[in-house]
Amino acid sequence: MTAYIIRRLLQTVIVLFALSFITYGLMGLMPGDPLDIACAANPRCTPENLDLMKKQLGLDRPIYERYGKWIFAFVQGDLGYSRTYRQPVTTILLPRLLNTMILGATVILVSLLIAIPIGVLTSLKANSKFDYIVNFFAFSGISAPSFWLGLMLIIVFSVFFKWLPAGGVETIGVEATQGTWAYLLDRAKYLVLPTATLASLTIAGWIRYTRASMLETMRLDFIRTARAKGLAWHHVVTRHGLRNALLPVVTVVALEFPRIASGAVITETVFSYQGVGKLMFDSIIGNDFNVAMCSFIITACMVLVMNLVADICYAYLDPRISFK
Amino acid sequence: MQQLKSVFSLILLLSMAWKVPLAHALPTNKQLTIGITQEYDSLNPLISQNSGGFYIYYLFTHGLTEINSDWQWQCWLCTKLPTIDNGLAKAIEEDGKKKLLVQWEIHPKATWGDGTPVTAYDMKLAWEVGKSKNVIVGLKDVFEQIESFTIDPKNPKRFTTKYHKVRYDYYQIGTFHLLPSHIEGPIWEKSKNSLGAYEKQTAYSTNPTNPGLSMGPYMVREAKAGSHVILVRNPHYYGRKPKIEKLIFKIIPNTQALEANLLAGTIDMISEIGIKFDQALALEKRIEKDPELKKRFRVSYRQGTIFEHIDFNLRNPVLQDRRVRRALTYSIDRNKLVEALFEGKQQAASHRTHPLDPYFTDEVTKYPYDPRKAAELLDAAGWKVGKNGVRERDGKPLLLSFMSTAGDKTRELVEVFLQHEWQKVGVDIAIKNQPSRTFFGETIRKAKYPAMAMYAHISSPGNVPESILQSISIPRKENGFSGQNVMGFVNKKVDAAFDDIVLELDFNKRKKLMKIVQQEVTKELPTIPLYFRAQIAVVPVNLTGFRITGHQFFSTLSADKWALK
Repeated sequence: MTAYIIRRLLQTVIVLFALSFITYGLMGLMPGDPLDIACAANPRCTPENLDLMKKQLGLDRPIYERYGKWIFAFVQGDLGYSRTYRQPVTTILLPRLLNTMILGATVILVSLLIAIPIGVLTSLKANSKFDYIVNFFAFSGISAPSFWLGLMLIIVFSVFFKWLPAGGVETIGVEATQGTWAYLLDRAKYLVLPTATLASLTIAGWIRYTRASMLETMRLDFIRTARAKGLAWHHVVTRHGLRNALLPVVTVVALEFPRIASGAVITETVFSYQGVGKLMFDSIIGNDFNVAMCSFIITACMVLVMNLVADICYAYLDPRISFK
Repeated sequence: MQQLKSVFSLILLLSMAWKVPLAHALPTNKQLTIGITQEYDSLNPLISQNSGGFYIYYLFTHGLTEINSDWQWQCWLCTKLPTIDNGLAKAIEEDGKKKLLVQWEIHPKATWGDGTPVTAYDMKLAWEVGKSKNVIVGLKDVFEQIESFTIDPKNPKRFTTKYHKVRYDYYQIGTFHLLPSHIEGPIWEKSKNSLGAYEKQTAYSTNPTNPGLSMGPYMVREAKAGSHVILVRNPHYYGRKPKIEKLIFKIIPNTQALEANLLAGTIDMISEIGIKFDQALALEKRIEKDPELKKRFRVSYRQGTIFEHIDFNLRNPVLQDRRVRRALTYSIDRNKLVEALFEGKQQAASHRTHPLDPYFTDEVTKYPYDPRKAAELLDAAGWKVGKNGVRERDGKPLLLSFMSTAGDKTRELVEVFLQHEWQKVGVDIAIKNQPSRTFFGETIRKAKYPAMAMYAHISSPGNVPESILQSISIPRKENGFSGQNVMGFVNKKVDAAFDDIVLELDFNKRKKLMKIVQQEVTKELPTIPLYFRAQIAVVPVNLTGFRITGHQFFSTLSADKWALK
């Protein structure tokens, strides 16, 4: 197992290098450098001004040279300086990464707690009224665009009922010491609506996955054998059925985390939630190479690491799977 | 069935509760929370290059001169605007070259937020930073135009600047903001020799809440990139004490979410950098209909200097014929356009100079809606009505490409309106929109649009548009595609007039020269003027003293006049 993990981690590093080079190159090929646009729109900006700005930002060098410099600094822990925010990338990125991690973990946890039991129940009561109602809401959740759902939740819970804040990460100007219950409660309030928006999609999908997987598993011979042996029904379902049915669900869950981390741009925008997804989008649009590349590397790392985690989980759930 | 009934009952209860919104309290002078869609890039006023930064920094810093909401240049930090007439500005001759000497005096009571007096040394530091090759500054020539800087040894509030050339706009230095030399001076000394080092080390980035960085009516209490900025009253401000104690700027990038936050009471006001025009119209109607909302908000509009227009590509053989350009302009009913799409809240334009601009003249060639005349001009140019009503010449249909920014709802509506107008006179239009990054970054900058491109120019009152209309400003590969004359417009009279305008210190003479420019441009028609865009804000009904400026110096410049009653 250890050798397998080391081998996978080495592969991950190679994949990251290749991906980072391709992404850096593609970003360099994008039309419309914001500096050119800003200079063209500014009647007093001279070509000399523009050259100076490009020189200062290293944009006058060929793309491979810029990539070489960037990757050399990156591996030494120097993430560079944000061209948009005029601050070190770590200052910009770390708080947002933490916010995204909190949001992502909450969404995954809430989704698991809701989707798995409901998925199991719907499979056990397949084609019942309960199954139909759950299916209706599951398809609604999958079909509802997140920007629409987010705005609807704001209108209902913030504008009309005034139960929850409409957006942000924490109450501005409220003096709460970090780590205290008051602070945590304040942060939790701001998590509810973005979590509900993102979780509605994941819950809906995972219910369908769990249901399908459970339906398939519960028809297999070993389940019939377990029941024939006189095992209690809940033992048959949880120890024999669910454990086997979870295998495909694990992959979906493991890959959901990086998707939420990198792809929650719309939800983050609607709720003004300062996360890394929106930052990555803005930095790509603004040619903020250092921020975009760091965000990208983090996302790629998450995908590769969570894939590895999923594989390790397989071994735990199914002892027949070995890693050689 | 029982379960379904329960679900419907719950929905009914929710619907009833929906109809009973809770009342909102109006904001007081204790605090005003303002929503803004654009993030600030830097709080250092010399380095900041985006509207989000400009909007906020006017609250804690001032330049020597700025344009007020009546579109007049005036002293903000200086005591008297230097002019030739009052003798504070005078042309001199040195080594056979004409130069300009200008005397300035900083307000005697002006101090930084930590009580340190504002002096000419702060101005000199800003000049050194601004003209340095190691610092990125948006408008570098504001600093580079000054040849030397002399401080009065007896009074550090007085200084004289010598300009390399005699230029009319020597006092138009709204972006020349001072830097506190007692804080930024040592940082500059350490970083000045290294490219980009100052921007990383400036206290505006590393310690933005230092009171010594502010000298406006407010100072920064808290700044969190991407989230918010909190400003509180500056006790050392030399001017009028602001009525509102605390201003919070909350960054909400999505305009729909911005509106929802306003209605939810998370923010009290939407700044000029926020709501879109069509959204504002819809919200205004909703406010009119809803008595609760009417008690809370009003939508404020002001005509601005943002000039929405269509540039012809004069390299296109069809559009080189002035009769075709004139026909396309005659066939547009601009008054109907602004009425139908903007309910008259944005003003139709006859040329690029706004009627409130000091250089405006009405004595120009005008193009009122006249489809008959348009048809005659097209006939005269050889474009005859062919099959399907589309005009043809030598067997080729009159098909013109029309480009703009994709996803801009207002522009897309205007495009459809204009396409319909042109189809009526037999001109076929192919709309080809692009994402704004590609449109402005490649297509416009390098004049790659085949026929017509619709977008806006932002200018300040009293602006001389030589970089848009002079032939030297045609973007080419040789000049690194600098300049905004993307139309490829060449006119000797216009070129000569601009050469004279920038060196002319007498306003009346400049105005005469600008009149020549406006007359030539409306006659030659390299551009179809459409309308001037309005600036919009949604403010609490009890906010007084607030006035949208309509130009690039935002309303926050006069925030010391704001009060919540």
